[in-house]
Amino acid sequence: MALRDNAVVGYAETKIVERSAVDVWELGAEVMESLLEQTGFEKSEIDGLILSSSMTGAGNAFWSQTTADYLGLELDFSQTVDIGGCSPLGALARGCAAIDAGLATTILLLYADTQVAEQNARPRGYQGEWLSTNGLLGPPGAFGLLSRRYEHLYGLDYTALAKLAVAQRGHAVLNDNACEKLRKPITVDDYMNSRMISEPIRLLDCVMVTDGASGLLLTSRKRAKEKGFAKFVVPLGYGERTNFRWNEAVVDITESGHSVAAKKAFAQAGVAPKDIGSFHPYDDFIIANMLQMEMLGFCGRGQGQAFIKEHDFTHTGDLPLNTSGGQISAGQPGLAGGGVNVVECVRQLMGGGGKRQVKNTRYGAVTGIGGIPYGRNWASSNVMILTPDA
Amino acid sequence: MSEMVRDTLDVAREAPQPRSFSRPYWEATREKKILIQYDPKVGRYQFFPRPASIYTGSRAMEWREVSGKGEVFSYTLARRGRGPFQGKEPYLVATVTLDVGVNVIANLVHVAMDEVRIGMKVKPFWAPLPNGMNLLMFEPDR
Repeated sequence: MALRDNAVVGYAETKIVERSAVDVWELGAEVMESLLEQTGFEKSEIDGLILSSSMTGAGNAFWSQTTADYLGLELDFSQTVDIGGCSPLGALARGCAAIDAGLATTILLLYADTQVAEQNARPRGYQGEWLSTNGLLGPPGAFGLLSRRYEHLYGLDYTALAKLAVAQRGHAVLNDNACEKLRKPITVDDYMNSRMISEPIRLLDCVMVTDGASGLLLTSRKRAKEKGFAKFVVPLGYGERTNFRWNEAVVDITESGHSVAAKKAFAQAGVAPKDIGSFHPYDDFIIANMLQMEMLGFCGRGQGQAFIKEHDFTHTGDLPLNTSGGQISAGQPGLAGGGVNVVECVRQLMGGGGKRQVKNTRYGAVTGIGGIPYGRNWASSNVMILTPDA
Repeated sequence: MSEMVRDTLDVAREAPQPRSFSRPYWEATREKKILIQYDPKVGRYQFFPRPASIYTGSRAMEWREVSGKGEVFSYTLARRGRGPFQGKEPYLVATVTLDVGVNVIANLVHVAMDEVRIGMKVKPFWAPLPNGMNLLMFEPDR
């Protein structure tokens, strides 16, 4: 058994909203029901549940168990993945490992968070002791430090970043599930003139935290074939790295764990960046997209701006980018936000993109970014390469 | 004329809650001394304090007093502050590489925006905390 012996047979997501009027488990039930209707699986066939991190669930030390209770699931395998923004993609990788190991046969991967309506997390980290005294504004502050350092090393033409923001916003306009507040086209000038938050981070660099849920149904490729699925998606390669170069006190913060995670994922998949038909990087800040283009090897280090100027990232372009709008333009449903990127990649590979469907569905790449550490870029990085199979 | 950067000395900061393994750092700030963890096995420093060496995993670490001189590694100008920092903008938060090879994130004060740059030499500046401890900030080492 291997990663590629597994099959994603269904994908689902709720509408992303500024603040959920319903309970996080109701969103979870909506995703589960949608997956059952789409795939024809019976609820009783689901024997595994893997949840992403969730700010709403963070107050419950029995999160996956209690969620399974409310969803009426009897399980052989149940867990929550706690690597923040990497957890939706990490859940898919762990689901494949669980099926390979015989721990479960059919797994519901559920990414649900209502961080705006109900935030239950009590952070226990370095922030209280080492940041609250200097007023660094959370993720925008950390990305401000990162952006300024990048600018120092390579120069930074912000109109290149604007191009990515404009492309993703155009995709959100085509996505009925995107948060309505964000479904208005923007221009390069809108980006450049948006107010500064933590210089050089602007408002339109930042993700907006929202509420919502998404999910996938995962089973073995063998079972998917036996069930007669006309189309499903197979993970080909995966890499994950937490605390990249953590045994060094001062590191180059323009390099992330994606460099090693991507090398592993591409090697396992047997493909190269040039083979990727659509790219779905975790996008908490616009510059994260550019850094990941460099880290995955779409271009060299420091060459992100030139690469951006040479390529078209719209759904009809040569490298479609976050074609549902990404988290920046569809909204970030808390720590389930990575589901926006993962689900869109699967949707595109299954040909379900509708008016934003990309042409090249041979291979898709998805990434995750999890956790903002002290004086670095991010704590966890993951990368997966997927392909459709029939 | 360059934009004025506020020094945040009027921010009502709460004293931090040290952990069992970071208490020596905070106690030393009462005397405006900077103690940094040092792993004698590899001859390297680490910051922030941790319960074991990030290099070797050893708990046999030393606390060594350092000058606190260093240079700006990166910086961001906060235009929006939260909590007690709200209304105190704009202020600077910088990552400073100390001469002993660790990065510290702190406020950068007594500097104009057209003066601040990466690589700029800085030295410690201490701001009092309510419990008698002091908060490490940096100012230009002109």
